[in-house]
Amino acid sequence: MMGLTVLFLILSVFTGISSAAPKELVVGCNFLLSGPAASIGLAMQRSVDIATDLINQKGFTVQGEKYLLKPVYFDSKYIPAESVSNLEKMLVQGIKFVHSTGSGASVPLVEKTTAAKVFQMSYASGSDHLTSPKYPLSFRSVPCNETAFAMYPWLVKDFPQLKTVAHINPSDEAGFTESETRQRCAKNSGYKTVANEYYKRGATDYYPVATKVVAAKPDFIDFGGTIGRDQALCVKALRELGFKGPVTIGYSDPLAFIQIAGVEAAEGAILFNTLMEPITPEAKKAYDLYLKKHGPPFLNNYYEAWDPTFMLVEAVKKANSIDPAKVAEALRTIRWQSVFGEMYVGMESLYGIKSVFCHPVPMGIVRKGKAVHLTMAPWPDDALVQKLNAK
Amino acid sequence: MSEEASVTEQLFIQMCITGIIMALIYILIALGITLIFGVMRIVNFVHGEMTMLSAFSMYYLFEAWHLNFVLALVLTIAGICLVGIFFQRYIYKPLGYDILNVMIIAAGASFALKSAGWIIFGPVPRDISTVFPGMLRILGTPLSMERAAVALICVGLTVGLYLFLYQTKTGKAMRAVEQDPEAAAVLGVSIDRVHAIVFIIGCSLAAMAGALVGMLFAVEPEMGSEPLMKSFMIILIGGMGSIPGAIVAGLLLGLIDSFTETLLGGEMAFIIGFALLMLILIIRPKGFFGYEI
Repeated sequence: MMGLTVLFLILSVFTGISSAAPKELVVGCNFLLSGPAASIGLAMQRSVDIATDLINQKGFTVQGEKYLLKPVYFDSKYIPAESVSNLEKMLVQGIKFVHSTGSGASVPLVEKTTAAKVFQMSYASGSDHLTSPKYPLSFRSVPCNETAFAMYPWLVKDFPQLKTVAHINPSDEAGFTESETRQRCAKNSGYKTVANEYYKRGATDYYPVATKVVAAKPDFIDFGGTIGRDQALCVKALRELGFKGPVTIGYSDPLAFIQIAGVEAAEGAILFNTLMEPITPEAKKAYDLYLKKHGPPFLNNYYEAWDPTFMLVEAVKKANSIDPAKVAEALRTIRWQSVFGEMYVGMESLYGIKSVFCHPVPMGIVRKGKAVHLTMAPWPDDALVQKLNAK
Repeated sequence: MSEEASVTEQLFIQMCITGIIMALIYILIALGITLIFGVMRIVNFVHGEMTMLSAFSMYYLFEAWHLNFVLALVLTIAGICLVGIFFQRYIYKPLGYDILNVMIIAAGASFALKSAGWIIFGPVPRDISTVFPGMLRILGTPLSMERAAVALICVGLTVGLYLFLYQTKTGKAMRAVEQDPEAAAVLGVSIDRVHAIVFIIGCSLAAMAGALVGMLFAVEPEMGSEPLMKSFMIILIGGMGSIPGAIVAGLLLGLIDSFTETLLGGEMAFIIGFALLMLILIIRPKGFFGYEI
């Protein structure tokens, strides 16, 4: 017996088998768990939970030690002060990895996370307020403003009859930055912007903003940074006021959009960067796991947090370190087969640093009450980005 | 030039229509609050959450479980009235209807109900299908049948409330209690009964507003907050306890909101609305027609 014990101890030393409990890589998730966009936060929370369960089936190894992923959730309520307060709690707890949602909740964090050398990945617009060489540890885990560089060339090719555009965005960080990027893309794609309007996020009535936009008589309306029920209510108002052209909306849950806008109002809406159906094997796997755990209805924003969770772990493994700076550098070299196709960190031509999770952009359309997948628009190359971003 | 003038004219008419319709919805909520304050001298902060509960009730009864719309509405109103009576009898009455204590408890209850709403109903917004499909045109400007119907219902309820208060025996009893509760009691008016009826009417108006807002917009746990805030602005401008004041202030604020939000944006609409409120409270603290708190 003694001999066996000694043998086991010797083997433990030489094979690196640790009899200690696995360590935890804690990720502070600063999500929108209440407020008008809470359905996005809920979907992302479920996504992170299921991805974590998968990852933790085997765990991952860093410098010979076994790690498990542990997400810890904080509700930002889409209030900047609340978000900063959440970050302070995370820093006190020694959390070195932050996953955040919403520009209003994520941009206020980036100066602090940079100063504290904490890794931050955000599903947020905010342009270079969030991703720039000044913030080398900050990443945009879901392309936001940047989808315009894929969407507009696709629109030019597939909807050549459209000549004028109106932009509708919320009057906050996300809306202002989305509007700026999209107006530039529109102009450099040959469209004339006839209206650029903002509304207060979470407003009850969208007739005021819809009235002005309809009066400008655009061929189509780009909803840019508008999310959640705001999209549906605004589209409903536009249709009631007589607008018949297409609208482009992103960050959407197609089912909720169609339900709230109504089948007639939703007809013809173009959905960008929204995976209507699980068309890749990776998407099918993620989709099936969601339905198995939560049942229908499927919350489409679930896909937004899925691959970033895996990519983070891959970066940790590749860096063989939990040092945020090393993980950030490793992340920039990873190519990952995501639910959308190949995903990698890019957009150095736009921000001066590889900082945005890039992938083919799913484009779809609403027909007869159903969201139908049309194609995957390719991610733009540097030359196209520079052309569309020219001032 | 003629086309530009036509667009400007259409814009003007649209802003007027939007302002009036939103004003009527907020007036409906404000009437319930001001009626309760007028008779009982308490501020029922739970009113906003009653509109939210009403909307969810309509969603489940009519949309999810496919009950007849009118039946769903009657059941919803009954349910919300029971909630209101619970608050009146078991929370506000034991506090002796003390204005400050009731305000604090009601504010807390409002937060609690909203939080419960998040937990029970979840964050995904829902929709109540319209029972008034189609569009019509007013002076060439499009208006959904749904909005037109909501406006007519609000006007009908407001007129109905006025007739009830001024043409019925119970209405006169309520006005007597509003003017002087002790004298009314001496004359044989049952104060408890009047209080219960006031709450039933107030909550019924909140329930109707919730059903209508749920049909026009989205049903979600936060939906009661903005209408409640607008209703309080209306009541403070029009005067606490004054029904004519609530109507006048509601229409004024609705039109100002609509014009400023359309022409200047949502933030300016809030600023101008609050500026108006501050101006009225400085110049005339009681509001247009109200009582002192």
